[in-house]
Amino acid sequence: MTVLETLRSGIARTGDRLVEDARSRNGIVFAVLALLALLAPQLVGGYTLDLLTQLIIAILVVTSWIFIAGYFGMFSFAHAALYGIGAYATALLAGKAGVHPVLAVLLGGVVAGIFAIPIALPVLRLSGAYVGMATLAFAEIVYRLAIHFRGLTGGPTGYTGFPPLLGGSRLALYYFVFALVVVLLVVQYGLLVNRFGLVARAIREAPDAARMLGNNVPRYKLVGFVVGSAIAGVAGGLQIYTVLIISPPMIEVNRMIEFMAMGIIGGLRTIGGGIFGAVIVFGLNEGLRDLGELRLVIWGAMLILVTIYFPDGLADSSLDPRDRLRELLNRE
Amino acid sequence: MVSVALLAQQIVNGLLFGGQLALIAVGLTLIWGVARVLNFGHGAMFMVGGFVGFFTLGATGSLVAAVIAAGIVVFALGYVTEVVLIRPLRDREEFGIPSMVVTLGLAFFLENAFIVWIGTQRQSFPRFTDVIWNVAGITLSAQRVLIFVISLVALGLLFVVISRTELGLAIRAVSQDHDTALLMGVRPNRVYAITFGISAALAGLAGVLLAPLFAVYPSVGWYPFLLSFVVVMVGGLGSVRGTLLAAMGLAVVRSISIIWVSSQMAMVILFAIMIVVLVAYPDGIGGYLE
Repeated sequence: MTVLETLRSGIARTGDRLVEDARSRNGIVFAVLALLALLAPQLVGGYTLDLLTQLIIAILVVTSWIFIAGYFGMFSFAHAALYGIGAYATALLAGKAGVHPVLAVLLGGVVAGIFAIPIALPVLRLSGAYVGMATLAFAEIVYRLAIHFRGLTGGPTGYTGFPPLLGGSRLALYYFVFALVVVLLVVQYGLLVNRFGLVARAIREAPDAARMLGNNVPRYKLVGFVVGSAIAGVAGGLQIYTVLIISPPMIEVNRMIEFMAMGIIGGLRTIGGGIFGAVIVFGLNEGLRDLGELRLVIWGAMLILVTIYFPDGLADSSLDPRDRLRELLNRE
Repeated sequence: MVSVALLAQQIVNGLLFGGQLALIAVGLTLIWGVARVLNFGHGAMFMVGGFVGFFTLGATGSLVAAVIAAGIVVFALGYVTEVVLIRPLRDREEFGIPSMVVTLGLAFFLENAFIVWIGTQRQSFPRFTDVIWNVAGITLSAQRVLIFVISLVALGLLFVVISRTELGLAIRAVSQDHDTALLMGVRPNRVYAITFGISAALAGLAGVLLAPLFAVYPSVGWYPFLLSFVVVMVGGLGSVRGTLLAAMGLAVVRSISIIWVSSQMAMVILFAIMIVVLVAYPDGIGGYLE
C-alpha cells in the first residue's frame, strides 16, 4: 500500500468512527458543546470570552496529555513544562525574531516536540511510576531554567514583549483558537482510531506482546510522546496570546497537577474524557473563584474520589446511581 | 579560586544537611520498599508535622511535647491514609500510578485545606539553641548539630525496629512476599498501615525538627519532598542504606555547588544527576550495596 492509500483509508476510517461516536451519549453531549462554543461569542464577550478561549486551550493540553498518558500509559509530569517551552518559544520567536505570530504558534509546537526528545529517550527505558519520576525531574529542571535565564525569558516576572495575534481582536482570537483546537483534536482522534492508536493501547496493556507481534515499541512510544508534546507546545503558544504574558508560574508543577486532575477526573481512556474533565475542573475553578483556595481543596478531593471510585473517569463511567451502587456492593 | 576553609565549611554544612535529608527521605523509601507506593503526600506529612509541633509548642511551651505530638498525630494520619486511600487500590492490576495520583491528590488537598484554615503566612518556629561553635575555623551551629544527632538517633531506632523486632520481621516478610507472609500468619494489611504510619511519622518528626530552619506554612513540604525524592531515586527506591548514602552525597554536592551557582541551579544539577542515575542504574546506589 502506498502512503497515499494508507492515508486515504485512515481518513475514511476516522470519518466512519466519528459518525459512529457522534451517536453515542457522550458524542451528542460533545456535539452540543461544540455548537454552544461556536455560538458563544454571540452570547458573551469580554472577560468571559477570554475564559472560554482558555478553556478550549486547556482541552487541547489535557487531550494531548491523555494521548501520551492514557493511550501509551506513559504517565508524564513533563507536559506542563513542554506546554511552557512551546509558549516561551512562540513568545520569543514572535517578540525577538520577528516571526509572524501564527507561524510562531506552529513553530512553538515544533520546538516543544524537539525539547521532548531528550526526556522521551529516558522514558522509553522506564515503566510505570518511574516514568512519572523522571518526567517530574525534567519538569522541575525546565521550570528552574526558565527562572534562571532571565536575559532570555524575563526571569520570575515573565516576558510580555511580543505582538498580539490577529491584531489583538478577542473575537478573531477565539475563532482562531477554536478552529486550530478542533483540527488538532480531530488529528489526535484520527491517529487513535487507526492502527497507531491500536498499537498504543497494545503497548499500554502488554508491551512484550506488542513487540512480539512485530511492532517497533520504542519508535511508537517516541513518536507518541513527541507528537503529544508538540500539540501541548501549540497550546502553550495559543495561551500566551490569550493572557498576553508568559511567566514561570504558567509551567510550575501545580499547573501540571491541574491538567492531570482534568484528565483523570474526565477519564484517561478517551479523548472525550479530557474534554469532559477540562470543562468540569476549569468550570469549578472559574465558577467558584470567590471561594479562593477552597476550590482547590474540592478538586483535590475529587481527584482522590474519582481515582478510587471511578477508575475510568467520569466520562466513561455509567452515571446511573443504580449501577454505581451495584459496583460498590460487588467490591466487598 | 575557592579557599580550602570555605570548601571545608560547605562540606560540613552539606553533611549536616544530609542527616536531615536522610530523615525525610528514609520514610519515602521505606513505604516504596514495603508497599510499592510512591507517596507524593510525604511533603504534606512534613508540613502537618510542623503545624502540630507549632500548635503544641504554643499550648504547652514544651519542645519535647511538640516533637512527640507531631510524631503521634502524623503516624495516625499515615495509618488512616493507607487504610482509606491506598487499600481500595491494592487489587488493581495497575497499582503504581493510581496510588501516586491519590497521594498527590492528598498532598494538594492538605496543602490547600491548611491555606483555607490558617492562611499562607509563615509562622516562625523558635530556635532550639543559639550557641555557635568554632572548630578549626569551621562554624558549627549547635542547632544544626543537635538536629543532625536527633536524626541519626531516629534513623538508628528505625534500623533496630526493622532488623531486631517482630514488627520489623513482619515488615521485611511482607515487603518480600505478600502471599507467603499471609500464610505465615502475618496480616499484610496491618503491616502496610503501620509502615505507612512509621513513614509518615518520620516525615512529621522532620517537620518539627526542621521547622526552625524552614518555618511553618502550608506549602513548606514541597521543597523537602523534591529533595528527598531525588535522594531516594539516586539511592535506589526501597534501599535504606542507599538512601542514607545518597542523602549525604547529594547534600554535599548541593552545598558545594552553591559556592558557584544559585540554589535554583543547584537543584537543576541534582535533578540532572537523578535522571542520569535513573536511566543508567535504575536500582540506584542501593542496587550495588545489596
